[in-house]
Amino acid sequence: MNMKKAATLALGILTSVGGFFDVGNIATSTQAGAVYRLQLLWPLVFGTVLMIFLVEMSGRFAAATRQALPDAIRTHLGFTAWLFPFIILSLVHFLVLGAEIGGICFALHLITGLPVPFWALPVSVLLWLFLWRSTFGAIENSSSLLGLITLAFVVAAWKHHPPVGQILAGVVPTLPHHDPTRYWFMAVSLIGAAITPYVFYFYSSGAVEDEWDESYVGVNRAVSVIGMGFGSVIALAAIVVSAVVLAPRGIQVDDYHQAALVLTEAFPFWGFVLFAAAMGIACLGAAVEVSLSMAYTTAQTFGWNWGENLDPREDARFSLTYTGAILASALLILFGVDPLKLTLLTMAVNAAVLPFIAIPFLLLMNDRKLLGEHANGWLSNTVTVVTLALALVLAVVSIPLMIVGGS
Amino acid sequence: MAMKALKDLTDDLELARDVLDKQVVDRDEIKMGRVDGLVLELRDGKPPRIDSIEMGGVVLAERIHPRLARWVDGWRRRLKVRKTAVYRVPWSAVQEITPYHIKVDVAALETPAFDWERWLRDHVIAHIPAAAKGGAQE
Repeated sequence: MNMKKAATLALGILTSVGGFFDVGNIATSTQAGAVYRLQLLWPLVFGTVLMIFLVEMSGRFAAATRQALPDAIRTHLGFTAWLFPFIILSLVHFLVLGAEIGGICFALHLITGLPVPFWALPVSVLLWLFLWRSTFGAIENSSSLLGLITLAFVVAAWKHHPPVGQILAGVVPTLPHHDPTRYWFMAVSLIGAAITPYVFYFYSSGAVEDEWDESYVGVNRAVSVIGMGFGSVIALAAIVVSAVVLAPRGIQVDDYHQAALVLTEAFPFWGFVLFAAAMGIACLGAAVEVSLSMAYTTAQTFGWNWGENLDPREDARFSLTYTGAILASALLILFGVDPLKLTLLTMAVNAAVLPFIAIPFLLLMNDRKLLGEHANGWLSNTVTVVTLALALVLAVVSIPLMIVGGS
Repeated sequence: MAMKALKDLTDDLELARDVLDKQVVDRDEIKMGRVDGLVLELRDGKPPRIDSIEMGGVVLAERIHPRLARWVDGWRRRLKVRKTAVYRVPWSAVQEITPYHIKVDVAALETPAFDWERWLRDHVIAHIPAAAKGGAQE
């Protein structure tokens, strides 16, 4: 494996830190651990398996065809077929970006004590400036390095000597002892947090930016397993820590302040700051990704010039798309939408809309005229179709129940 | 007509699969839009042939619903950035069709396809300081 291919592991880590472990995982994992202890590890494992398959497919597609997904879907399925998934995907981008910006603002609120909406504008200006000035490589490298701080959750989980037997038991789905509606809704949110649909669209554009070709098919497999596995272990650790620290004290995560307590036992002095730093960085990495993803998708849909390595003067529409996206999503936080509620809603929406966004992608993956020997085999097809169907059933059943029961 | 036949394209060109919706690039391979529509020329006693490719938001909207097309065109007139609703490139200007793009022998910057790109660059990007990727370009 040469240096460039080794370096592409960075893309995997960036994608996992930004796309996998983000505000959605912090919210859903800490809440699930606090209420159901170790019983809800299985949705995360389930979501991770599906995510590994989806990301692997997306990278394989980009390596084999040198095309990013939105680009190829518009070309092969046509504008009218792509329009509806594109609109849904844009809505997902908008909500997720709002949740991530909310996460960064909340992390700053924890450290400074200043109210969350106060940070909305400074954070979006900073985020925008970073995208405006950086190249794709610089973004990849800085996010992967800084993202390592989220390993604090794993270290904390380790320090608490969690019961291994119960952890293994939690990987197997079981029926809830209490509050079944909440249980299933939480399971859906955990799945939605694991499979944020924009991620595999972003990943293919990233692979095109990194100029992957067919020789990357093998590396891509490793990247998706290691990258998504890395993100998933952190999210699992967050459930464990929350189950050990919050659940025995009867602390339920109704807002992020309670979530912020999870690291204080393992790191008495630094726990609070560490949580804030991990949350801020994970959300920043994700916010960068979502903004870019929005711009990639829009530019490819309409055929505009695009690329994060180009000067904004060369791709004005691309650059102004992420600028507009950041502004629109920041308004949610500026006008005082609660970041935790926004996140939980967004994660459930993610799980519900997943089939609409994944089906055009699955169709392309089976196009042998396009992919030749790299088209999907029976394993990828079976796993994705079955898990997508399960995720859809869970979402369709539990979200209305939660809305009816929760009011 | 100078056109390369490519490995993934057989002798038959499937218009809907291989041409419609494909990325269009100019002679310098700058991405300038997509094939939003195709125009056929009907000829007496002879089979129809492709006359030109069309680009423009109004063409796209027309594919969804005529009313949407009128609405989009109304905005185009009001905003006065894009001069013509439909930009047509004659089929004779097509230089190359690959699995990735259709290359046409024009300069994107001077075409209506770049009206918005040009306007945004001159009226928005130009007023934002620090628009250069600070020396990071290799």
